[in-house]
Amino acid sequence: MAKILVVDDSSTVRDEVASFLRKNGLDVDTAVDGKDGLAKMKASPGIKLVVSDVNMPNMDGLTMAEKIRGELANSAVNIIMLTTESSPAMKERGKAAGVKGWIVKPFKGDAVLETFRKLAS
Amino acid sequence: MITSQAKDSIERIFFKAAQARLPMAPGDVCDIVAIKPGSAGGAGSTGASATESGAARVGRSQAQTGQVVVLTISGIVFRLMLLLHFDEDDSTRDYFVKEGAQSAFEEIVAEISNLCCGAMNQELLRYFPDLGMSTPYTLSAHCVPHLEDLRPSYLASYAIQLGDSVHIAATLCVCADAPIDFVADVTAVEESSGELELF
Repeated sequence: MAKILVVDDSSTVRDEVASFLRKNGLDVDTAVDGKDGLAKMKASPGIKLVVSDVNMPNMDGLTMAEKIRGELANSAVNIIMLTTESSPAMKERGKAAGVKGWIVKPFKGDAVLETFRKLAS
Repeated sequence: MITSQAKDSIERIFFKAAQARLPMAPGDVCDIVAIKPGSAGGAGSTGASATESGAARVGRSQAQTGQVVVLTISGIVFRLMLLLHFDEDDSTRDYFVKEGAQSAFEEIVAEISNLCCGAMNQELLRYFPDLGMSTPYTLSAHCVPHLEDLRPSYLASYAIQLGDSVHIAATLCVCADAPIDFVADVTAVEESSGELELF
């Protein structure tokens, strides 16, 4: 089964998103920040979708996305940002980093579940 | 440096964000009352008419005890700090911590505060496109009176009642680096949170 990686420094958000996706039959791993997310990406080539916060300690989500595309040369994985950030400038930086989509928190699982399934397949 | 209509706009943006993000259930009451200047909160309210109520009394007493979650929205012309005061009493904990939740109370209220400030940031970005927001951090509520030392252009505290029995408090502090004048139309903004925008 394709794996989804949820990256957020807030355990509340990590638990909420991961629990929802697991409850709906998806295989989920979690990471606590961008650095941890990048390490999980290196260790788990089966990850098809990354759902990540932007503002995190150690490494932010957009830097992680840039490194996934650059350092890991992984152009296949879909990257979605789940964040309170909503500025056009931040979204433009996301697009440039190879981010596929943007969700402004709070997370509403039912609204995105089917798209997540497709992006993780 | 901040016009009265800009102060009023910031307050309305805060009210809308708080009412959208702080209640844990859609039908829950979210009653926000300005705390009078010179009260225990220490903040000089310039906002809505202050009517003494149970929520306000709790807010005044709460303003300098316990912990506050602090978030900052910064841009070229101003820095806004939102401080949300949560006491970890039984009713507050029961309200915010869902049964089976694995996260600690502090972590949960930090994320709720993050959502509230994020909603303010989203609204403010319509008028100030250069804004960025911090992650939440927790400080002792004893720091609140020291906000005066920043010589803010706008400082106001509020008592907030959520549901039947939960009382929290909030402080808004804005330090302006240039004149600020805008009128927020908080009714015109579409609710787009939670939707996936594909690029």
